[in-house]
Amino acid sequence: MKSPIINPQSSILSVDFAGLRLANPVFTASGTCGYAEELADFMDVNRLGGFITKSITRRPRQGNPTPRIVETDAGMLNAIGLANVGLDRFVAEKLPVIAQMSVPVFVNVAGERIEDYVAVTERLAGEPAIAGFELNISCPNVAKGGISFGRDPEQVAGITAAVRRAAGRKVLMVKLSPCVTDISVIARAAVQAGADALSLINTFTAMVIDIETRTPALANRTGGLSGPAVKPIAVYLVNKVYNDVAKKAGIPLLGLGGIRTASDAIEFMLAGASAVAIGTASFSRPDSAVQIIDGIADYCARHQVARIADLVGSLR
Amino acid sequence: MTDHKSQGVFSAKVTSNRRIRACFWTMDLEFTGVGAQAYARFQPGQFVEVDVSNLGLPPEELIAPELRDAVRRNILLRRPFSFADVTVETNRTTAELLYCVLGPASVRLTTLSRGDSLSVLGPLGHGFRVPPGKRLALLVVGGMGAPPIQCLAKLLRTEYAGTHVIAFIGAKTAASLPFAGEFDGMPERIDSFIPAFAKYGIASAVTTDDGSAGRRGFVTERLAQWLDEQRDWLPEQTIIYACGPEPMLAATARLAVERNIDCQVSTERRMACGIGVCQSCAIECRVEGSDETAYRLCCQDGPVFDARTVVFDD
Repeated sequence: MKSPIINPQSSILSVDFAGLRLANPVFTASGTCGYAEELADFMDVNRLGGFITKSITRRPRQGNPTPRIVETDAGMLNAIGLANVGLDRFVAEKLPVIAQMSVPVFVNVAGERIEDYVAVTERLAGEPAIAGFELNISCPNVAKGGISFGRDPEQVAGITAAVRRAAGRKVLMVKLSPCVTDISVIARAAVQAGADALSLINTFTAMVIDIETRTPALANRTGGLSGPAVKPIAVYLVNKVYNDVAKKAGIPLLGLGGIRTASDAIEFMLAGASAVAIGTASFSRPDSAVQIIDGIADYCARHQVARIADLVGSLR
Repeated sequence: MTDHKSQGVFSAKVTSNRRIRACFWTMDLEFTGVGAQAYARFQPGQFVEVDVSNLGLPPEELIAPELRDAVRRNILLRRPFSFADVTVETNRTTAELLYCVLGPASVRLTTLSRGDSLSVLGPLGHGFRVPPGKRLALLVVGGMGAPPIQCLAKLLRTEYAGTHVIAFIGAKTAASLPFAGEFDGMPERIDSFIPAFAKYGIASAVTTDDGSAGRRGFVTERLAQWLDEQRDWLPEQTIIYACGPEPMLAATARLAVERNIDCQVSTERRMACGIGVCQSCAIECRVEGSDETAYRLCCQDGPVFDARTVVFDD
């Protein structure tokens, strides 16, 4: 009898993330991989460590007028405005596809008022296809809700506690904005109110001006900056939250912001991220996440890392 | 989900890359293997996203002075292009990428030469559809809207030989016609002036904003006049296909609706991914059976839409 084939990657790359066993530490970031079905021709989504959906709101959202994006040197601004199919169509049309996936799926939840977040979370908390929620209190591109919740520690605590109750036994991750005076204050508020994990960072509010027309390049005037330009700041903020809050509280961090390569991902892990998410890079290379997983495995082999988890926060 | 299962990221081999004239260049690409199969099913009006992020700039003296400032920044995102020609052969599919050098991405494309490879994501979106029963096809081109219409012209000539085809081609000036040749002082009449269409036996009516080639005016005015002059034609047997700047598409759509002629327009929006995940290429469309409008995606639902569907800014 043949012995079972053991993927040597499996034991080295697997990580515990807020009680979930992930095959590897690489997620796709919300808003850059749709509802997974869009990527089927380009990547085996079941090779991911985890998947995070585009933001879901209680009602469908059309999103902002165009232009919604503009490229910058080493990055891009987006002001999509949380365009999404809304809770009902998500449940009817997208969830059945997601249920076919074998990797943990997080639903990114957004809203204008706390009740909106609670309503979406309550409706989905009983769905076996969903592993957890990512609370979006950091979107810079909507008039109401979004980042306005994420700047004030009391509001962060309030919304986290309310969604915590609605989320039942699902994992609750809170996504932090970098556009705050002290990100650790916000991180602490979320953890004390019941967050199981934190993801950071969301985009930076930014502006590009067309000097010929003297108008903003985006219809929304401002947008969120992402891509390689933000990576060193994101690494710093992950390291700060890890040292100030997460390490002591035993709360895992999902690090993101400009990751394009396995080396980028490993930087985040050394800084304190238990897992990473790939966002903007997927726009140019839809299979970026899978290439990064393979690159991390190569790094582990090269450096004789027995378990990827040993890297987390091991910055000297 | 798109209905093109065989889309993907394919490496295309550059077989030639040369300047036609002014800022216009043409690049021939070759797909082999799975890529050849995927592009064998390419529909005119579909598009691709090419990756130029790993390409450097040409030497400064080869960059137009007015672009030297703008082209300095790095490229992150792919750039969308529609092919001007696709040819299916045994074991390979070739494609013509007609492009205009106007910024940091297109200037990088000029550095490619025979034997280089280019990462091409596609084929993407929905192209032009040819409904049954059309005996007259009117092609409307504005400037760099030419490539997908050239590709369609070939399809009409090869697979719909019974359809009479005329190309209405507009540009700002003779110099901004994106074709090989000299067009200064070209006559106004409809004739085989534009080789890119003449090679399919299609005559062209050319207009320029300044009258430097063909008739002075907008291409849509010329189309309207031509339709007014026709006696024995049936709107229901006619179809208009258009690609060009948005005001031209809007005028074409208006004209088609007024005269009850089927019309398809190829639209353009700034986009990042091309596969429906970034949601940046929203385009306002009418919702069938209601007065409401909704955003659809240029990349996935388009880029070719029925002219009655799209809500144009007036």
